[in-house]
Amino acid sequence: MSGKLHISRTVRRELHSSRAAASAATATAAAGLLLWLALETALSAAGQQPLIVRPLDAGRWLAGTADSAAPSLLTAAGAGLGLAGLLFLVLAVAPGRRPRHALGSARAAIVADHEVIAAAISRAARRQAGVAPGQVSTTVGTRTVNVTVHPTSGIPVDADAVKAAVDVELGTYALPRRMRSSIRVSTKGVVGQ
Amino acid sequence: MSGTHRGLNRFLLALTGLMLLAAGALAVAAGTLPGVAAHWAATGRDAWGRTRDLLAAAPLPDGTASWWTVAAVGVLLLGAALMFGWLASQGGGRTNVVGETPDAGQGTTTVETGLVSRLVAEALAGNRLVLAASVTAWRVRGAARKQPAVRISIQARQGACPRELADTVEQLVAGLDRLLGHPFPVLVRITAGTRTRLARPDRAR
Repeated sequence: MSGKLHISRTVRRELHSSRAAASAATATAAAGLLLWLALETALSAAGQQPLIVRPLDAGRWLAGTADSAAPSLLTAAGAGLGLAGLLFLVLAVAPGRRPRHALGSARAAIVADHEVIAAAISRAARRQAGVAPGQVSTTVGTRTVNVTVHPTSGIPVDADAVKAAVDVELGTYALPRRMRSSIRVSTKGVVGQ
Repeated sequence: MSGTHRGLNRFLLALTGLMLLAAGALAVAAGTLPGVAAHWAATGRDAWGRTRDLLAAAPLPDGTASWWTVAAVGVLLLGAALMFGWLASQGGGRTNVVGETPDAGQGTTTVETGLVSRLVAEALAGNRLVLAASVTAWRVRGAARKQPAVRISIQARQGACPRELADTVEQLVAGLDRLLGHPFPVLVRITAGTRTRLARPDRAR
């Protein structure tokens, strides 16, 4: 059934970037360059003035540039081109994970933002610690959940109990990836609210 | 979520990267190794001479330009057209039809996204964990049957438990399954948006 419902494929697509923006930008730039070259070639064939440079002149310049240009300039230009190439390769190969997690489900592909999960974990921690809303902050990563509790001055917070509550909350999400939770109880208390 | 061909995107980006990297490596080599620079210059002079011969070998009837120039313009335009094709392949696949049942000889029954949207909106209307819900559908590439997938996007109230929301929507989807007569691919997105930040957080109960 899960095959027909495309759950794992949908989750995978939703968790990773499609590289549509980079592709669209590259395609636009390449199309512009090719159209410009075509226009310059047609203009020079018709004996008209070039817009920027005649293609044949550009070709001759490129062929002779190794002799005429300063080596340091050539090296710098090469390094720039290489860096741009590396950037494209990284875009092509890097996973491009988005800040989202999949929740286990047999029926549907369920994907929640990190922000939603962090807010829910904060709430669970807050209820356990008995502090006000602003006193707990949570960040959610790919494999980690970090909770920081600012206790009310004079009232200690049991970090182990908070960790247990956070782990129970995390357990209900049935995330396919094991998440490690860590609780930090701030040494500075805040004035009770 | 759309019909974007992601493998193609990554392949073409990798190709662009490799070409730039190769050009960069060549330029760096020419700048640092004198032998490479000399070789480049010699090859360039050779190529320049051959290009001139080639252009002169096939003149147009009026004698000013060459057939090769015409061919070059054609190849450049073809390349640009391919780039526009790549650009056009981004996104797409959106559809308004969620389900379609042909009825022998009596026409076809279609279910549109609007119906699912109304059902979802009504089912979630009283839910305090949900700030907004929207429904879209897209055609799944490579699906055996002509069955679009439905995306239900939900803006959660701050502090809402995603599991609780997921269970609610799963029940909702089970109801939709019964209504449409067969299960269909569903993506549920639980998101945080501007309304999440502006609305009052969920009270601890």
